[in-house]
Amino acid sequence: MTPALHHETTFAVECRQVSKRYGQSQALHNLSLSLPQGCSIGILGPNGSGKSTLFRLLMGLTQPDSGHLAVLGRKPSWQTNRHIAYLPDRARWYGGDTVRDAFRYAERLLPGFSRDVALNLADIMEIPLGMKVAGMSRGQEARLMIMVCVARDVPLMILDEPFSGIDLLSRERIIECLIHQMSRREVTMLVSTHELHEAEPLFDHAVFLNRGELLLSGNADDLRAQHGSLERMMRSLYT
Amino acid sequence: MEERRVGSLRFRIDFSQPIYEQIVQQFQSSVVKGEIERGAKIPSVRELAQALHVTPNTVMHAYQEMERSGLTETRRGQGTFITSSQEQIEQLRSKLAAVAVREFLQKMNDLGYSGQEIFRLIQDEERDESL
Repeated sequence: MTPALHHETTFAVECRQVSKRYGQSQALHNLSLSLPQGCSIGILGPNGSGKSTLFRLLMGLTQPDSGHLAVLGRKPSWQTNRHIAYLPDRARWYGGDTVRDAFRYAERLLPGFSRDVALNLADIMEIPLGMKVAGMSRGQEARLMIMVCVARDVPLMILDEPFSGIDLLSRERIIECLIHQMSRREVTMLVSTHELHEAEPLFDHAVFLNRGELLLSGNADDLRAQHGSLERMMRSLYT
Repeated sequence: MEERRVGSLRFRIDFSQPIYEQIVQQFQSSVVKGEIERGAKIPSVRELAQALHVTPNTVMHAYQEMERSGLTETRRGQGTFITSSQEQIEQLRSKLAAVAVREFLQKMNDLGYSGQEIFRLIQDEERDESL
């Protein structure tokens, strides 16, 4: 990790009038956003609101039709990606691997991955190291995927729907794990979810998207003072 | 809303209100009630964030607020401590009392009671309690 990269920019993510269309569907429409560094940000909205598209644009996996975007002060590219731990939606790991194999692989291939941190996380998350991925529940595999991301010492983490389709216990373990990491070092976290529940206290900042457009963005406690819980805001914004 | 314990401290966090404010309020009330002693060390930002399952930034915001108001003091390298000044704590107690009275009077006014009537109701209530 290059410290210089960290100090040059004040925003972890900046979008200016970003639009992206897939065929007939407008995935993002004129999205302008500035997301602060060093805090955790909830990217909130129902399915199809543009959350995954935003993340794919930030990772340079797809290009905007128009507009500008910067991640960690730079144009998205594979060079910038080494500073980002990205968990795609519905990510899976190779079935034949054990947790230990996965960590060995991650150590060789993912910049900033620390095996010691990962081993500690596996303990917190209650995932046995000898367990095979093929024998895992969906929640256990999700926990493994989160660990592989979180064990990287990078300035930005992007987690796409890490809680969806996972049992309550796994959700709680993941939230504990994320808070644990946030209190160990400075990191910016972007986490998308279409349902808040127990993830509500995980966010310092909330961004509400709908059909590719920005509805509202702000400090979570300021929003609570004005509108009540984020979960309540979600219910009233999208119905 | 669930209750979380951190050492001898108990916290209830309600997501419909700013979280940092609730942390401040719960420290204030614990100090005024004497549940935390003057000069006592309070958990680090990290410990409290992990115990309450809230972000470290939220706890930091609460701690900054408590320091600004004089409820706590940070000693470099040692951590954060409740003020050792009895005067500070008395001031806080009076301030919380003033807020409680204002809220009570507001409610009574909303119900249509005047000053004299409120005063009489309090006296009646006190007499009933002492029976």
